[in-house]
Amino acid sequence: MANTNRRFKFVDIFYIVMMIVPLVVGVIIQVLTKPLAEGITLTGARIFYTVPMPIQDLVITEAQINSALVIVTILFFCLYMTHGIGEHIKLKRQHFAELIVEKVDGLVSENMGEYFNGYSPFIIAILALSACSSLVSLLGMFPPTSDLNVVGGWAILVFILITYYKMKCGPLYYLKGFTEPIPLLAPINFISEFATPVSMSFRHYGNILSGTVISTLIAAGLSGLSAMIFKFLPGFLSQIPFLQVGLPAVLSIYFDVFSGCLQAFIFAMLTMMNISGGFPIDEYEKRKLKKLAINK
Amino acid sequence: MQTLDIISINIWQMLISLANLVILFLIVKKFLYNPVKKMLEKRQQTIDTKYSEAEQAKNKALSDKQSYEEKLLSAKQEADSLIQSAVDIARSRENTILLDAKQKADGILRQAQQNAELETKKAEKAIKDEIVKVSTLIAGKMLEREVNEKDHKQIIDSFIEEIGEENEGN
Repeated sequence: MANTNRRFKFVDIFYIVMMIVPLVVGVIIQVLTKPLAEGITLTGARIFYTVPMPIQDLVITEAQINSALVIVTILFFCLYMTHGIGEHIKLKRQHFAELIVEKVDGLVSENMGEYFNGYSPFIIAILALSACSSLVSLLGMFPPTSDLNVVGGWAILVFILITYYKMKCGPLYYLKGFTEPIPLLAPINFISEFATPVSMSFRHYGNILSGTVISTLIAAGLSGLSAMIFKFLPGFLSQIPFLQVGLPAVLSIYFDVFSGCLQAFIFAMLTMMNISGGFPIDEYEKRKLKKLAINK
Repeated sequence: MQTLDIISINIWQMLISLANLVILFLIVKKFLYNPVKKMLEKRQQTIDTKYSEAEQAKNKALSDKQSYEEKLLSAKQEADSLIQSAVDIARSRENTILLDAKQKADGILRQAQQNAELETKKAEKAIKDEIVKVSTLIAGKMLEREVNEKDHKQIIDSFIEEIGEENEGN
C-alpha cells in the first residue's frame, strides 16, 4: 500500500516536472538566442533553421518550437489530470478534470447540437492550444499565436471541416448553395466562403500581435519619458526607466492574459458556429431517410 | 539571426501547425476526454445499479410487510375462532352439566317425596293400629267384659275409616 502510494506520488511529480520542463526549456532558448533589443524593434518569429523544400523553404522558427513545447506541456497536464481518477473522487484534480469535460460538453451540445457531440475533444484542444500559446508570452517567450502561419494552419483545418460538412449532402448540393438566394450573388458567396478562415486567422493573430506591438511601444515610450523626466539625476540613475514600473504590468494583464483567453474562446466559438452552421442537417436527414427507403 | 516578417505566409509552417492541432486533438481525446468520460459513464452505471437495487429492496420490503400483515390478520382470525369454538364447547358442556344436575336433583327430590309418603303411610298405619289397640283396651275396660277382639277390631276399623274419609273429604 505504502509502496503503491509512493509510486503514485512519484508519477505525479514526474508529470508536474514534465509540465514545467518544456516551459523552462523555452525560456532558456529565448534567453540564450535573443539578441538585446535596440530601441523599437518589431519582427516576426526568429528563424532557427531552414529546410529546403519544394515551393517554399520550410523554416523552423520560434513559433514552431514554442508550439511543440506547449503541446508537450498540455500532454503532461492531461496525463496529470487523469492520473488516478476513479469512480469515487479521491483527488481534488478530478473535480477540475470533470469540470473541463462537462463544461466543454455542455458548450458543444449547446452551440453545435447533438450531432456534433464528438467535437468536444477538438474544442478542448483548440481552447488549450490557443490559450496556452498566447499565455507563454507571460514567460517572455514568443507567443506562437502572434505568427500568422500558426493560426492560419488552424483556420485551414477548420475550413476543411466546414467544407466537409457542407459537402455531406453531395458536391452538387454544395455548389447549389452558392447560388442562394439569387445566382447573381454567387461570386460574393464564393468570396465569403474563403473569407471565413482568413478572418478567423487574422482576428486571432492580429489581436495577439497588436498586444505585443502596443506593449513594446508603451515600454519604449515610457523609457524615453523617464529618461526625459529624470535627466537631472546624477550619473547612471538618470538611465533607469522608473516609469516602466507598474503600467506595463497592468497592460500585460489585458493584452496577454485577458486577450489571449478571450481570443481562444472566440476562435473556439467561431469554429463551433461555422462547422455546425454550414451543415444542412435537415437536408442530410431527409436524404438519409430517402436512402434508407430505397435500400429497403 | 534572421527573423520572419511580421506578416509572412509559409505553407509548410501552416501544415505543421495544422498537424500540431490534430496531434493535440488526439492527445486530448486519448488522455483527458476519454478517461474522464469513461469514468463518468462508469459512475453513472454504478449509480443506476444502486438505484435499481434500492428500488428492488424497497419493493421487497413492501411486499414482505403486506404478507406479514396478512399473516397477522389470519392469525388473529384463527385465534378469534379458536376462542369462539372453545367458548361454544364450554357453553354446551355447561348446559349438559346443568341439565344433568337438574335431572339428578329432580330424581333425589322425587325419591325423597316417595320416601316421605311411604313414611307417612307407615306412620298412619302404625297410629291406626295403636288407636285400634288403645280403643279396644278402653272399650274392654269400659264394658268390663270380654269381647271378641276380632269383632271389635272390625267395628273400630270401619269407624276409623269413616273418620278418615270425613277428614279427607274436608
